[in-house]
Amino acid sequence: MMPEWVEAAVVLENGFIREWKAAGKKVVGYTCSYLPDEVFHAAGILPFRLRGYGTEECSIGDTYFGPFICSLPKCMLQLAGEGRLRFLDGAIITPGCDSMRRLDECWRKAGDDHEGIVPGFFFHFGVPHKFSDYTVHWFIDEIRRLIAAVEAHFGVAVTDEGLRESIRIYNRGRALLQQFDRFRTAPNPPITGAEALAVILAGTAMARDAYNSCLEAFLDKLTDHRTETQTDRIRLMLVGSANDDVELVRVIEGNRALVVADNLCFSARFHLDPVAEDGNLVEALARHYLQKNECPRMYGQYRQRLDLLRAKIRSARVDGVVLQNIRFCDLHGAENGLFERALEAEGTPCLRLEREYGPLVEKGRLKIRVDAFLERIAQKHGAAA
Amino acid sequence: MIVAGCDVGSLTSKAVVMRDGRIIGRAVIKSKAKPWESAESVMQMALAPAGLGLNDVCYCVGTGYGRDKIPFVHETVSEIGCHGKGARWLVPSVRTVIDIGGQDCKAMRLDKDGNIEKFIANDKCASGTGRFLEVMAKALGVGLGELGDLSARAKHPVTLANACTVWAQADVIRHLHDGVPVEDIVAGINNAMAARTATLVRNIGAEPDVCMTGGVAKNGGVLASLERLLSLRLKRIRREDPQITGAIGAALFAAEHANGGHR
Amino acid sequence: MRQATREYHFDWMLWSAFDTAAKLSRGSEKEYRTTLKYIPYFRGIVEAMLQSGEPGKRFVELCAKYFGNFVTARERGRKTAMTTFCFSPTILYALDVAPVCLELLSAIMALTYRRGTGEFLDYCNEVGFTETSCSSQRGALGGFLAGLGSEIDMIVTDTPGVCDTNANAFSFAAAYLQKPFFQLDFPPVLVDPQTDTYHREDYKALIRFLEEHTGKTLDVDRLRQVLMEIEVQDALMAELEDLSRLVPNPLPVSFGLLTYAGRFLFGGMPECTRLLESMVEQGRANAEKGISGLKSGVEKIRVFFCYIDHYAQDLRLWQLLDERGIGYAGNILSRHWASTAPYVRILDKADAAYTVDTTSLDAMLDSVAALNSRMPMVKQIRGPYDAPNMWLDDTLALAKLYSADCIVYNGTPGCRNTWGMVKLLARDTEKAGFPTHIMNTDAFDERVQSWEATRERFEEFLTVRRLLP
Repeated sequence: MMPEWVEAAVVLENGFIREWKAAGKKVVGYTCSYLPDEVFHAAGILPFRLRGYGTEECSIGDTYFGPFICSLPKCMLQLAGEGRLRFLDGAIITPGCDSMRRLDECWRKAGDDHEGIVPGFFFHFGVPHKFSDYTVHWFIDEIRRLIAAVEAHFGVAVTDEGLRESIRIYNRGRALLQQFDRFRTAPNPPITGAEALAVILAGTAMARDAYNSCLEAFLDKLTDHRTETQTDRIRLMLVGSANDDVELVRVIEGNRALVVADNLCFSARFHLDPVAEDGNLVEALARHYLQKNECPRMYGQYRQRLDLLRAKIRSARVDGVVLQNIRFCDLHGAENGLFERALEAEGTPCLRLEREYGPLVEKGRLKIRVDAFLERIAQKHGAAA
Repeated sequence: MIVAGCDVGSLTSKAVVMRDGRIIGRAVIKSKAKPWESAESVMQMALAPAGLGLNDVCYCVGTGYGRDKIPFVHETVSEIGCHGKGARWLVPSVRTVIDIGGQDCKAMRLDKDGNIEKFIANDKCASGTGRFLEVMAKALGVGLGELGDLSARAKHPVTLANACTVWAQADVIRHLHDGVPVEDIVAGINNAMAARTATLVRNIGAEPDVCMTGGVAKNGGVLASLERLLSLRLKRIRREDPQITGAIGAALFAAEHANGGHR
Repeated sequence: MRQATREYHFDWMLWSAFDTAAKLSRGSEKEYRTTLKYIPYFRGIVEAMLQSGEPGKRFVELCAKYFGNFVTARERGRKTAMTTFCFSPTILYALDVAPVCLELLSAIMALTYRRGTGEFLDYCNEVGFTETSCSSQRGALGGFLAGLGSEIDMIVTDTPGVCDTNANAFSFAAAYLQKPFFQLDFPPVLVDPQTDTYHREDYKALIRFLEEHTGKTLDVDRLRQVLMEIEVQDALMAELEDLSRLVPNPLPVSFGLLTYAGRFLFGGMPECTRLLESMVEQGRANAEKGISGLKSGVEKIRVFFCYIDHYAQDLRLWQLLDERGIGYAGNILSRHWASTAPYVRILDKADAAYTVDTTSLDAMLDSVAALNSRMPMVKQIRGPYDAPNMWLDDTLALAKLYSADCIVYNGTPGCRNTWGMVKLLARDTEKAGFPTHIMNTDAFDERVQSWEATRERFEEFLTVRRLLP
């Protein structure tokens, strides 16, 4: 059922990217969902969400990063060090979190030892940790600084018309993804959580125009698709640290559960409400990206994020919430602790999981915990019946 | 009707055979590299004294890390579920179960019907698991079974790093070289273990009665230390070896599901 | 947590102990000896502090005052604010808010408690906070989360953009304790006009927040007074810095901690000034006699701690330095980058330093912003380690200026920032000719690596690199 283009979810330098590069066009990688993709789209550059997916070991990552660090940027560095990111013409490092922002110097220093692994355009892009009038102003200036640097380095012009068109195209994508979400959360979803993640991930690794067409066609297909009943599966929501590994969701789902909703930055956080298409466009982007991204890096917003989870639990009829974090991810890890207390008190079963980012070698350990969690939910349903 | 439970863990494999709600056979072995070999060996050992074979078992439930690889089981249940079930059978008043196995440590709260209300498992680390004790016992040249009695004789327990087994081991060796009595070192080891466990237990909130299952439950030193930290008495499992609790739970599930209570 | 720990407020106990110790220093020998019998767990540190002369005594008094301030705040009609060490308390004092600095509490408890702060560290994890978070907040935070501390009225931090695990701890505390929360944000670049504009707005927002939650209006004259006191303190700190460049260094090892702790706790207030004055007096006296501040009297080598010291347990790190004749060239915690500091003058780093301008409210807010931007960590780790005025720049400049023979990194496993690039830093400092030792300890939690193991590895480094026999 899954279309071919979804291979972009699991293949690093996928077909779209190869074609794009063959046409002489540029690709810029970015580490964090706070970067306004539209800026690059308007510049005719493909914005590529950097991942660490596909590493088999992490010796290069471990050489430069110290031991007590999240494995996600380490795996990104590993890929870079192995030369597997040479298709990038640029990289944007963002302080999504401290571990991630240290990818800046680790990558550059690794570049001293491994030739040619640092892309020509290497940019540190600041993002505030709160939303207010003056942080938006600072962020607007920062986006303008990025635009100026892109224009200078790549010899392109980012015009207002270009930006408006890009925002419109990305908004179309957001609307399609929200439509897609409605399939995911239906009483009898035609698609598993793992498949859904693959579809969404593909959008981070290919041109948005092409993605929109592909997704639109896929949604048409889904409308007519008849699937065996999934209504007896336990409905889960997946929350926490970044995950771009479809296999992790598959392990969680097994044959007894479905991840029908999430609050992950490679997934649902990526396509919330549209960006304003009129007025000051850079300001519109700044407001949207700073306000709509529900990440614990935005300190002091726990209550808002909890409300968001509650709303999703209701609308998607979620039976249980899996709160996972990558080891050393204190932002998600700690907030998961707060979520667990609040949601359990309201009667929503929660499972906290800590994992490593990278090759999924701990399936047994994860399954033990997930299976026990699903048994607990099933018992609860049985008792209620 | 004869039912069985088979718990294939990373370090040890256990089997329990029951008839009409009574245990008629039990066995514990060191796990082999292949889980199906472990399962077959331990099950034969449990069945043999009663003069039974695998064919005599009407229903078998598998659990533990290797549960999906056991060819002769009819269904699998998580070890958390099985430990909860087994603990309730062994200690009918139990509401909180702490299971310290070879490679992980779990705590679970049961509701009045014995269902799992909440559970938590440790992550990413040997300290706080049976492996920690094994490594330390080896460093000291004592048997695992001696750790409880030795620590009872301690006068000045040492403080050990409890965040890392490797570093704790280096500290143990240093204390030995410095002539610190073995009893004091062992007490320090048991305290470090109990401290990690206590944090886990407090995370889900201990509700009396509390008991410990798994091999480490045989270490009186860890139990005593844990009691001090949690400020409550732990119910000792005396009916059977606490290490077979998971297998007992699996056998109990087998009895239920063989009678048509199958999910 | 043991039942015994749950039976009283931990901060009340700290206050009692330090208050008693402060009185001891002014009492008779008999009172002193008798009281020591009743505080077996604090005995070591109390003796060490009180016997190091007037500065030690003033420090103990300063701590007692600090704890008393927030423990009795309610009774005195004042508000309390939980905050971080790298947020200068000047603006809080200007609004008569009693600060509660988590990291200093953690450090002081790690230094004084026999078992360290393990129970509080672990309690944070019990209520859902990650175990991998920095122990510097957790050591005291656990007490507050368990309801064993004084009432907190608000939470203020300046670490977003600087240190996630720090900011996250305060954000967690605010959510858990349900208290008003304010964060000052820091862009990655220190010297930049846009950064300055941004900070001005941020501090105005901070004032509005503090006024709202104290019910008071900022008294401009009071702020001026506090900032002028900062200038006095800056001058004293500059003199201490100059003295420490002498060979031998006439300042005792403990003066490092006294300087930065005093400043974190009472920056802008006379208590800190008095402490600094006593240190300058003793330092001058030693310098005139040409003697070393080390107990052994002989300074063999100098070590620059490029990050923080080691607080778990007692004062064993300082004792080790004293015993082995290792001069202490400080760390980043006592370097605040005032324009009058010698390292600013000599290294020609005026653009990276702050000046205090009290001519108008705006000028004063800019001064507060500039001062905070140069607080330790806020200055060094907000951008890539090798960017101008960041960690590498500061480390090399200070190590060179203070004639360090080697550099030691000590921190906590919770420090994502430094552990994200300390190997890179060490590579660069080695290339620059400074043997560099990375400690795998936790400065606030001895259970991570025992003192014995820490000491062993450090001494091995000194031997193998032929720094000391």
